Amino acid sequence: MTAIILVVAAFLLLLPFVYESRNLMILLTQVFVFSIFAMSYDLLLGFTGIVSFGHAMFFGIGAYSIGIFMKRFEPTLGYFLLAVMTTLALTAIVSFIVGLLTLRLKSHFYAMLTLSLSGLFLVLAEKWRSMTYGNDGFTFRVPEMFIDRTNFYLLCLFVMVAVFLILKRFTNSPLGRVLQAIRENEQRTESLGFHVLHYKIAASVVSGVLAGIAGILYAISLRFVNTSVFAMDITLDALLMTIIGGVGTLVGAIIGAGLIEFAHHWLTELAKDHVIFERWIIFFGIIYILVVMFFPKGIVGTLSTLTWKRKKQHAVKKEEKVAG
Amino acid sequence: MDLIINLTLNGLATGMLIFLLAAGLTLIFGLMDVLNFAHGGLFAWGAYSGLWIYSQTDSFIIGIIGAILTGFLLGIIIEKWIIKPVYGNHVQQILITLGLMLVLSEMLKVIWGPNQITASPPDYLKGSWEIGGIIIIKYRVFIILVGFLIFAGVQYVLKRTKIGLVVRAGVMNKEMVQALGINIQKIFMVVFMIGAGMAALGGVLLGPYSGVIHAGMGMEFAILAFIVVVIGGMGNFKGSVLAAILVGLSGSFMAYYVPDLSLAVNMLLMAIVLIIRPQGLFGAKG
Repeated sequence: MTAIILVVAAFLLLLPFVYESRNLMILLTQVFVFSIFAMSYDLLLGFTGIVSFGHAMFFGIGAYSIGIFMKRFEPTLGYFLLAVMTTLALTAIVSFIVGLLTLRLKSHFYAMLTLSLSGLFLVLAEKWRSMTYGNDGFTFRVPEMFIDRTNFYLLCLFVMVAVFLILKRFTNSPLGRVLQAIRENEQRTESLGFHVLHYKIAASVVSGVLAGIAGILYAISLRFVNTSVFAMDITLDALLMTIIGGVGTLVGAIIGAGLIEFAHHWLTELAKDHVIFERWIIFFGIIYILVVMFFPKGIVGTLSTLTWKRKKQHAVKKEEKVAG
Repeated sequence: MDLIINLTLNGLATGMLIFLLAAGLTLIFGLMDVLNFAHGGLFAWGAYSGLWIYSQTDSFIIGIIGAILTGFLLGIIIEKWIIKPVYGNHVQQILITLGLMLVLSEMLKVIWGPNQITASPPDYLKGSWEIGGIIIIKYRVFIILVGFLIFAGVQYVLKRTKIGLVVRAGVMNKEMVQALGINIQKIFMVVFMIGAGMAALGGVLLGPYSGVIHAGMGMEFAILAFIVVVIGGMGNFKGSVLAAILVGLSGSFMAYYVPDLSLAVNMLLMAIVLIIRPQGLFGAKG
């Protein structure tokens, strides 16, 4: 498994130097950005078992922080770092407060409350026109080093790999183990003496901060930000990517992000042939429902169970031979 | 005075539309323990299909009936094929119904196109009455009347008929009802169907009221309906009508006096209720 990941990472690293294609590079950058976002969502959904419908709120905070800093001040590296700091602080504070208030609720209520809280941020972004320019949004200039697409591609790739490794480490840490225990059986974890709420808040803060970072990269890649970063669609994207790719695997989130971004690109091109492809998301909606019903582990989870079963069968056959 | 009466009527009419959506949501939640995130999709489907039939047949009544039938049909299909396989698993339910919402609203765009569709009330509901210098728009009164009729009808069924008795008992204790030899699955389907029908009715009534319909309106109204369901108490039918009127009125008055805060106030109200009194303002059930 690790070998495959290393080969793919090396391939992606070398790609911009061997194969010159602006479109492909922009597309892959999007894949990386959404992979980060989907992985941060996976920490909640796949590892802790929390269904949040308000993940777009952290994504949007990141996107707007960078946009406002670059627009109001000079687009220099210094202000970029300042915007990153602001995002980290804001997302950490917001996710902490939201978590503190809502995570004690049952799953239904939590999903509903996060949905409406992110709706509140959407309204805020629409109404606070002096800062956000409302629904129209605004364009902004980016620091010089990000203007070159290759540089930015490498940055996104680097951040994605870093986030992957951090989350891998995080979910295997004692803290991560407790989170997985909460997913499996909340009451039992509580009765073992763990303060479930604290662990859930920790997960939600880490996930919120990472989603904010994805938002920053997203805004830089577009050099434009408007209220759509707070929209339900962003959360839905994360949901589709993690569920279809496979929850609780991290790799699944990356694969899901790749699948959906590439499919988006190709299917929108097919829209010239038939209008139904303009509504490409409907296919993913249907696939998503089928996955939730029949393969709750997604692509990665289902594949690994299959290989695991086959290995087991092999082992059993060998034993039979020895015994026979 | 004129202004206050108009704002009140406006608020009541909006409240009734939200009630039609929230009533199904709260009954389904109370009985089946399913929070249907796709309910807004049924609302939008009612609006599109009803107005389409209305434009084809030129009869608003047939349009309304068509919308309700569409709601019934979708309700049966959804209950049978999508909700039933995941009963009892909360996370899967939440995920699957949200996915369904996505599919339903995208389907609308596939069939009727992504643009807004305009709608106007039929001639006999157009215009307004003037009583003592106060102008009252006919269509608003019509919506309020329909809303009250539906409320009274459902309330009658719940309190006075056998099926209502079973539903109320099911809200309290499903297992017991089942143990007494009643096929609760059938009741689930009927309740889901009625809930979907009410949502579709709300959708088709909204069309001429707001003048335009679009595929995103399902989600907008669904959020309001969630707020209502929470404020009224999950599973509390009477609470939902009171909460719907409250949310409708506060929406219409806030939209006039402090327009920037109208949605925010309702959401804050819901957040506060959820955190302090999760059983709802009107619920006695702990």
